[in-house]
Amino acid sequence: MIAAHSPIVRLGIRAASPLAILVGVYLLFAGHNQPGGGFAAGLVFGAVAALRTVAGLQRPINTGALVAAGTALVAVVAVAPLLWGDPMLDQQIVSAEIPLLGKVKTGSALPFDIGVTAIVVGLVLAVLDGLGARELAETSVPKPGGAK
Amino acid sequence: MNLLVTTTVIAPILAAAAALLLRAHPKSRDVVTIVGIGLATLASYAMLIDVNANGSQTVRVGGWAPELGIVLVADLFAVLVLPIALSIILVVEIFAIGQRRTAWGANPELAGPLLGVLTGGVSLAILTGDLFTLFVAFELILVSSYVLLTHQGQRDQIRSGMTYVVMNLLASTLFLFGVAFVYAATGTINLALLAERIPELDSGVRLGIGAWFFVVFGTKAAVFPLFSWLPDSYPTAPTTITAVFAGLLTKIGIYSMIRFHTLTGMDELGPIMLVIAGITMVVGALGALAQSDIKRILSFHVISQIGYMLMGLGLFSAAGTTGAILFLLHHMPVKTVLFLVGGLIENHEGTSSLSRSGGLAARKPVIAVLFAIPALSLAGLPPFSGFVAKFAVISAGIDESAVAIVVVALFAGILTLLSMTKIWLGVFWGTDADGLEAVPTAANNRRLMFAATGLAVAGTLTISFFAGSVFDLSQRAAEELRSSDAYITTVTEGAQE
Repeated sequence: MIAAHSPIVRLGIRAASPLAILVGVYLLFAGHNQPGGGFAAGLVFGAVAALRTVAGLQRPINTGALVAAGTALVAVVAVAPLLWGDPMLDQQIVSAEIPLLGKVKTGSALPFDIGVTAIVVGLVLAVLDGLGARELAETSVPKPGGAK
Repeated sequence: MNLLVTTTVIAPILAAAAALLLRAHPKSRDVVTIVGIGLATLASYAMLIDVNANGSQTVRVGGWAPELGIVLVADLFAVLVLPIALSIILVVEIFAIGQRRTAWGANPELAGPLLGVLTGGVSLAILTGDLFTLFVAFELILVSSYVLLTHQGQRDQIRSGMTYVVMNLLASTLFLFGVAFVYAATGTINLALLAERIPELDSGVRLGIGAWFFVVFGTKAAVFPLFSWLPDSYPTAPTTITAVFAGLLTKIGIYSMIRFHTLTGMDELGPIMLVIAGITMVVGALGALAQSDIKRILSFHVISQIGYMLMGLGLFSAAGTTGAILFLLHHMPVKTVLFLVGGLIENHEGTSSLSRSGGLAARKPVIAVLFAIPALSLAGLPPFSGFVAKFAVISAGIDESAVAIVVVALFAGILTLLSMTKIWLGVFWGTDADGLEAVPTAANNRRLMFAATGLAVAGTLTISFFAGSVFDLSQRAAEELRSSDAYITTVTEGAQE
């Protein structure tokens, strides 16, 4: 894999990952009232994971579990309001004063969005693995010093 | 009702998540899938009883008003179709658990969870009260069906899967455009509000919307000339998958069409629908006659039979809509059973080709009986459910003095019977032409497969026995749909607390 040969690409991806993850987290929280949300955050995280796969860096491996956990979380959040006699997917909104951030408003939509994020990341990675990305990245990592 | 509606949609999806987590434990994975789909099925029967006694009910998801949010509407039409649809998936899943340890079966690690997601999508598509949620439900069903169809990765599966994906993506795109058009024209996508506003539109815009959605749902339902994706893709999939698809997917298309076009009063489209219905019937039946493989014959029948439902809808009379609903209720289980029997034959003969099998009636009379009952029913012979359904549709046609379509329908019925005879001659009579071995299957699994098929046959017979009350229920459902007042009142006023 070409990316694996290039230290610049590897380093670049390694340096960019935390920043991109920060963007993803921002989107996840912003999604409540502004553009963003679980799906957009999932795509950003998925892009990070895809780049890391190509460069042969560490990334989540158990894609099935990610999808399953995400689906379960989404379904549970959807059903939970029934326990209080509300219709499904009813929202509870919590707001709190947090130092530094000021007034923060969030609700039961947040775990729902997190579930969506997990599903998207899991599916992106599952598709990559299905196309054989991991084997490709692993097989051609050159030995330091080079064989020839 | 709140709890019941939620169960039908969420239980299968939760089960899918659990089954995905339990991938490595076959026993518990199968149990979880069965429990999830089973719970949804039970809930749907409870809904039928409830709605039959207390009338239609609405669940407002998240407590939003119908103009803003999603409503799930359990009216009589929905709760008639839902229990049958979910029962089919349950029976097929039982059959699949028996079959999947053989080479013919679907990959259980994927099939279980995906069937769960598909079930959730089917419930949502049947219950939803607005067009966009219907689109989402279609996508849920389609995305899982893409994988189910091609996951074995064989050459012809991928090839025909390609056509399937392209055709359905195209239809989905058109669907999305259609939703936008409807919103631009009326300012809402809620079906109940549309039932009020669409009839007030300019006739050009109104018929444009009607024709647009006729194409969209027609592609999903595989009517002429939009059926090309079906006969190639269905036979290549594992039998259990084909059984679910044949029993459900095209039927969800025709279900949506019946709901949308009747509620919004698209009576002027009737003549076009009748012409297309006639061509669909004959082309499907002729196509079936030309095939020499059980699964291919049955796939062409799916198309032919869609024509009858479309004919009932296209008449736009109370009797016609009743006939269409009745036909839908009869057709879903019968078609599934036939494919399951096809799976049994395949298992015993090692092939589903007519010329390479034979003499099964002498060796396995049980399979012959299991095949004969739904086959006669599909051809429309009394006393089976197919007779009642076909009779309802055709007598509705006679009432409207639509002679041409009635003649075509009867002619297509004869062709159907002919192709069923072809299967019978090829598979059950004569001698086994080649020495293809039966697929080795453990006795337990075989028993499970027979039990599931027997259960499904019993289900179709139950519909025949209670044909009277099923007819009455269909009639009531048809009247509710046609007058559309009941539906509008339920959605706009009857908030379920």
